[in-house]
Amino acid sequence: MKAWLNFSPTIVNKTVISDLIKNYDVTFNILKANITPKGGKMLIEISGSEAKEGIEYMEKEGIQLNPIKKVVKKDEEKCMDCGECISLCPVNAIKMDDDWTVELDNQKCIGCGFCTTSCPTKAIKIAD
Amino acid sequence: MCGLNSLEIINNIISFLSQDYHYKKAPDVKRVKTIEEINQKIKDGDAVVVTASEMTRIVQENGAGEAAREVDVVTTGTFGAMCSSGAFFNFGHSDPPIKMSRTYLNGVEAYSGLAAVDAYLGATQPHRNPDIGLDYGGAHILEDLIRGKEVELVAEAYGTDCYPRTEVHTFLSLEDLNQAVMVNPRNCYQNYAAATNSTEETIYTYMGTLLPQMGNVSYSSAGKLSPLLNDPYFQTIGMGTRIFMCGSQGYILGEGTQHATEGERKNGVPIDSSGTLMLKGDMKKMDAEYVRGATMPKYGPTLYVGAGIPIPVLNEEIAQRTGISDQDISCNIYDYGVPRRSRPAVMETNYQELRTGKIEINGNEVQTSPLSSFKKALQVAEELKKWIDNGEFFLTSPVKSLPSSGCTVKPLQIKRPSIMVRDLKIKPVITARAEEAISGVARKMVDNNVNHLPVVDHADRLMGIVTSWDIAHAVAKDSRKLTEVMTKKVIVAMEDEPVELIARRIDKHEISGVPIVDRENRVKGMITAEDISRLICSQNNKEGGSK
Repeated sequence: MKAWLNFSPTIVNKTVISDLIKNYDVTFNILKANITPKGGKMLIEISGSEAKEGIEYMEKEGIQLNPIKKVVKKDEEKCMDCGECISLCPVNAIKMDDDWTVELDNQKCIGCGFCTTSCPTKAIKIAD
Repeated sequence: MCGLNSLEIINNIISFLSQDYHYKKAPDVKRVKTIEEINQKIKDGDAVVVTASEMTRIVQENGAGEAAREVDVVTTGTFGAMCSSGAFFNFGHSDPPIKMSRTYLNGVEAYSGLAAVDAYLGATQPHRNPDIGLDYGGAHILEDLIRGKEVELVAEAYGTDCYPRTEVHTFLSLEDLNQAVMVNPRNCYQNYAAATNSTEETIYTYMGTLLPQMGNVSYSSAGKLSPLLNDPYFQTIGMGTRIFMCGSQGYILGEGTQHATEGERKNGVPIDSSGTLMLKGDMKKMDAEYVRGATMPKYGPTLYVGAGIPIPVLNEEIAQRTGISDQDISCNIYDYGVPRRSRPAVMETNYQELRTGKIEINGNEVQTSPLSSFKKALQVAEELKKWIDNGEFFLTSPVKSLPSSGCTVKPLQIKRPSIMVRDLKIKPVITARAEEAISGVARKMVDNNVNHLPVVDHADRLMGIVTSWDIAHAVAKDSRKLTEVMTKKVIVAMEDEPVELIARRIDKHEISGVPIVDRENRVKGMITAEDISRLICSQNNKEGGSK
């Protein structure tokens, strides 16, 4: 599961993430993080046998968790299916379908934003 | 209307007598059909129209002879970034009238140095506000107008007795314009280079974003669907040919700018950019589905143009040529990391390989990206096919053929040649050795009045660079070793590079100077922003004096 973790200023100095990894059987991948003393956000992917318990723990510790289905969104009106983004994706999350439509795989996407900045029609956006 | 004409009757008799007679006994390239006959079939609803993609399969399966007899028209299509595009507008006269000398549409300048209320808006013109700059330019306005959106017109003038008004500020849409004629000086390139980047940094080009160390490859041509690759010797496509242009019926005005005919060919088609077309169409009849304003990141605005050209299958040779496959169309991958006119070719490939999405370069698998939309190109070819099937579009004989030989593209000769790095008066090079003490390096800088010091090994080979700021840093942090404070990834200049290139490099990396090295990475000197500004000053003085 992918989710945004929102850190309030009151918890930025707590070691929630390392405690989580020590105490629960979770696989945890940080895709993006921007945390300052004023709070911040972290995009993570979490799985493992105790993922559910781990999430409950994070929420108990004060991290607000917003699960996301989509890391990036494609505007079908703007996208002209050129494919410029395909070779820029570091995790092969973009491919050309059999009918030459550009498809994004949100399972693979890590939200690096390379496609969003390179799209000639700005058709791809990072989902909030 | 007299139905079948004599040639068709003869052909029918021949094929009745022997199904294969025409193919086997007369595999010549003479006309088996005329454009008039095809147009008659279109009128009668009997014409056989296929896309270039379908034609590839038909020729592969049935051979060119049978294809020539069965198929009447092959529709081609492309939907790619075509920078050399734009439109003429006539705004109509205000009261009192104005002779516009500077004209802006939504803040993008259109050239109005022609008559009073005519202007030409180029697709790649950036917005005049540098904060918007490349994100919204001429191409976006062309799309907005076709979408029926209202745009702001601002014009300035110097005022004359007959045109007293000196400024205009109003809003208008496509229907308010007297004329809005898209005239694209160079479209539909017959093949084009593929691009990669061998340098250590990401570069942003008209071929899209190119990752470092040949991290990706981009390519542009629609391959087997591309109009001029289906008629590589311009046997049917010429001046006056009616075409599909951005969803409307447009025309070919003639060969485009930079039209070239002498490049290397394989399987009859050029392996590099070659022929081009100048197109004209009425924007008022265009469909926004087939035109798009876009921005190549950090390069600028460009117009995606949907263009499709019908090719009458007049004989077996034309059938053979329209049957070309992606595998038969080769192209070179060039290194866009070299910002010179002649870029080195990395390797040759073909469109079948490029379309698989990956390619092998020097043993590494590299992902490929098309820049033009194959889906849209197919849509263009399908739509044109539909028009012909429905009897809404008829073929034309060219008024004049496009030149198919003798055209080469001349480079621009700069009469005042570029000054090369080696031509600069370079001060004797002062360097530091990696093992030198910080205090010694500081003294060296002060004694020689320099702010940069290349750090070299025993053979004068570049290891890093330190600035006076780095030394201040070292003192503040109590670092002892030069290697701790020096910058190891050094931006350099080569002796055989033009100074303009170094100026761009210094600006891009926001640095104040670069060491000059030779091929063996031995330090030859330093070139600083100061050196360059002094050079510009002295050149300007020289020019001023010679007047």
